[in-house]
Amino acid sequence: MARDYDHLFKLLIIGDSGVGKSSLLLRFADNTFTGNYITTIGVDFKIKTINIDGQKVKLQIWDTAGQERFRTITSTYYRGTHGVIVVYDVTNGESFANVKRWLHEIEQNCDVVNRVLVGNKNDTPERKVVLTEDAQRFADTMNIKLFETSAKDNMNVEEMFLAITRLVLRSKREMKERQNFTQGETVNLRKGNKQGKKKCC
Amino acid sequence: MLSVHQDVLQIIQAKFSSFEIVKSVHLNVSILGEYWSEQHHILAVVAYHSNSALFLFSSKKPKPFHLSDLIIEAVIPIDENFECLSDPIPGEHNYLLFVVRYRKVSFEFRIKIGPESSNFASEIVKSKERFLSEESDKRWLLKYTDLYNSLENTELKSQLDDIPFIRQKMAQNQNSINRDSMLKYQLKLKEPEFTQYQEFTLFIGTWNVNGQLPSISLKPWLSSDDDPPDLYAVGFQEIDLSKEAFLFNDTPREAEWEKMVLDGVHPKAKYRTVALTRLVGIQLIVLINTKHYQYIRNIAVDTVGTGLLGKMGNKGGVAIRLELHNTSLCFVNSHLAAHVEEFERRNQDYKDINARINFRKYPTAIKDHDQVYWLGDLNYRITELTTSQVKTLLIRNEMAALLRADQLNQQKERGNVLLDYNEADITFPPTYKYDLNSDTFDTSEKARPPAWTDRILFRGKGIYQLAYRSHMELRISDHKPVSAIFKSEISVINQAKYRKVHEELLKRMDKLENEFLPQVTVDQTEVKFDLVKFREPQFRDIIIANTGQVPAEFEFIKKLDEQSYCKDWLRITPYCGTVNPGEKCDVRLEVNLESDLTELDDILVLHLNGGKDMFIIVSGKGQKSSFTTSMSALCRAPMPIMNLSEIQWKKIVALEGEVLYSIPRELWLLVDHLYKYGLAVRDLFESNSTQESFVKIRDWLDFGSTEPLPGSVETIAETLLIFLSYTKEPVIPFHLHDVAIAASSNYQSCKNIINQKLPDIHRNVFLYICMFLQELLRHSNENGYDAKTLASLFGEILLRDPIRNSKPQASRENLVSFIIF
Repeated sequence: MARDYDHLFKLLIIGDSGVGKSSLLLRFADNTFTGNYITTIGVDFKIKTINIDGQKVKLQIWDTAGQERFRTITSTYYRGTHGVIVVYDVTNGESFANVKRWLHEIEQNCDVVNRVLVGNKNDTPERKVVLTEDAQRFADTMNIKLFETSAKDNMNVEEMFLAITRLVLRSKREMKERQNFTQGETVNLRKGNKQGKKKCC
Repeated sequence: MLSVHQDVLQIIQAKFSSFEIVKSVHLNVSILGEYWSEQHHILAVVAYHSNSALFLFSSKKPKPFHLSDLIIEAVIPIDENFECLSDPIPGEHNYLLFVVRYRKVSFEFRIKIGPESSNFASEIVKSKERFLSEESDKRWLLKYTDLYNSLENTELKSQLDDIPFIRQKMAQNQNSINRDSMLKYQLKLKEPEFTQYQEFTLFIGTWNVNGQLPSISLKPWLSSDDDPPDLYAVGFQEIDLSKEAFLFNDTPREAEWEKMVLDGVHPKAKYRTVALTRLVGIQLIVLINTKHYQYIRNIAVDTVGTGLLGKMGNKGGVAIRLELHNTSLCFVNSHLAAHVEEFERRNQDYKDINARINFRKYPTAIKDHDQVYWLGDLNYRITELTTSQVKTLLIRNEMAALLRADQLNQQKERGNVLLDYNEADITFPPTYKYDLNSDTFDTSEKARPPAWTDRILFRGKGIYQLAYRSHMELRISDHKPVSAIFKSEISVINQAKYRKVHEELLKRMDKLENEFLPQVTVDQTEVKFDLVKFREPQFRDIIIANTGQVPAEFEFIKKLDEQSYCKDWLRITPYCGTVNPGEKCDVRLEVNLESDLTELDDILVLHLNGGKDMFIIVSGKGQKSSFTTSMSALCRAPMPIMNLSEIQWKKIVALEGEVLYSIPRELWLLVDHLYKYGLAVRDLFESNSTQESFVKIRDWLDFGSTEPLPGSVETIAETLLIFLSYTKEPVIPFHLHDVAIAASSNYQSCKNIINQKLPDIHRNVFLYICMFLQELLRHSNENGYDAKTLASLFGEILLRDPIRNSKPQASRENLVSFIIF
């Protein structure tokens, strides 16, 4: 059946309240920015189709409420997610300190581990409190790619979304290869053996 | 048969015929990977004789109640191409990933590990084993695909190529706009921006071979020009006149004629077959110069019989469609009804072919193509002239007169056939009917008048005909072959420009799709209630306004691990509905406190079908009341509970301090009032008092007052029932509930429980109530109550079920009746 895309991925944006998750999405999907702060109370998504290396990838990007009181509810939206964007505000040290908790949240709720770390609001150097070096060091230890962006000035936003999409594409490809590789093995599904690759018929 | 959900299995079975047996079902399947979806899905293994298939349904509800709740989303045959495997899901020990593959199609399902999954898996294994020993036949599945729209069996093969079938909607993840067709349409509009025309040479040929064996080279026909064409479309009629060919639509001649064509094409180029199709003796083959092959897409064939009974293949049409670069081409080879007088029948055959050719795989009609080439033995004759008149006109070369007598020209003129098709001027002699192996017109007894039965017409833009001729030197048939050469403008895509336009369109469509997502605003996302008091409902209205462009279906949905979409003290009406664009909907949140909660907090999830979720925070403070305080605590309260200091309150709730009363003060006040004024009142407990009067009594008890107890005796009687119904622990405490029920048939056991097991205060209350009831019975002449009625009324309240449901009523009655007497 004909479709206007080759892949369909679900991305999730998480992070503290007020770090600019909705702004990043708005910049990427609609190429707009509004200075008015409207706190997201719920989860919303937008569609964006992009071309990567000749492949059309349709992204469904979910923007979540960052407030602490919604955390248990928003965690239910992690299901079926292919990639997660963890956002902090470079002018707000606490939002960076909380990144660890958000990463933990991903581990708790996701079976995919494609993630990027995003330091947003990187447009007013005098207000910047989370230094690039510190963020980079942290990102390295967590084995996660770091992007410093500005939704306001449209800096690095597109690059960041392309990067996470590439990661998802790569793991999809690797998963396919892995499946092809293991196709020769024979395991009986009937016994409900919980370990390792299984194959029936 | 193995299945955990027999009821669902029966509902699904209703979707199938009695020969198609639903073997096993699996509920609550979620789809990951390429087709991920959050809807409820159900998998079913269905067997048809020795064949089986896996059906994927989407269901409106987690568990369907009726077959109308189910939609078939995908059909996957369980045969040699079917593979499945399972994989653990990291971090989710209760679930496994169940991967199904069929050729290039791959599904990933997330299913819960348990008896349901192992039953289901073993049924799949069995189906696959059963298949391995038998012959595969996928035809029974056709009716479950959208493609089953024709009764003809001739093109079954191409339909079967569409199995496994996956609903388009699903592949597109159920979006409100059909992006694919939208994109196609928009690209078509913008075509001039990224295409340029390039001329291609097309050779179109037709020959009725009269059932003769392919014994001569076709070079004089197919290679008579200096330059090789880019494409050949060669049609034959009557390649096999045998009964076998007619009845079974099978003939060795097909391959033989194909070979003759391949041998006969122009030597200056290499060609390969694009498609070949045949209906009995009507065969069409399209060849392309190999250098253009990669630019051909979406090839499809179709055939239509219009012969005997209007269906059989002795007459009819076959067609091949394809896209060359960006131009769609359609070639139709038809053999229409014979005999001079049957021209109306021929017109009808033409109409039938147009109506019934639809190419299934790429649903298009003949007329939908940019260019159509119609060739064949159309069988139109020369009328109103005798054989000798025709021959004389031919010798004098008076073609104009002859062509005026040609039925096709006449019928076309009248708009009865091939209306918008063009035909070049005919300059060659009639191609029918010749004596075999000669150039002599029919010398048999019938001496049929010569006719231009074999024709080539075209429709579409940018087609320039260079030649239209017959080929006399091919003599084996009673027809002569005809050919036409066209220079046709084919729209060729400039890839760089195309990508740019395409990307722009994708952007626009993303925008459109985002705009067409349901959008609503809610006037308040934080709903605060005033102090919420016991059994005094409050409500707040929120307004859901549709600010989007499509109707918004909203529903309050459950949060993970919760039983309901809201807490039990809250009611939402309506909890689901549809709001049209620009319209609003009021939703009432009503809170009614019947417990000792002091902090009311809930987060509601307002879900838009196919769109976002919004959170609504509901909060409020609950006011304490004697009605929801334990009796043991009340007996320690020196004054009405609202007058207690915070410290005093905490102390009595913790059951610290001295027990001041043998029964709660509040209970005594109510019963004493009834004892004084209510014993002789008829139907004392059947009042329908107002909310207001209850609230007055509640506050009188909770706050205390110097005023007399307000309200009628009936209201006070009802308040007594309410008081006993909501005490934090019932008079017979929950932990003694089952023991009491078990003892209910024996007076002595009941007595033992009351005397030995009940806590002191509870026993006091119990006996106090029983004494009051005995007193009531003494006045049964006036108040109309008998023991049984009272026992049933109070039994339920004194001996409450932990979960409020019905246990045998009689047991409770017994318990109380024993005591009263």
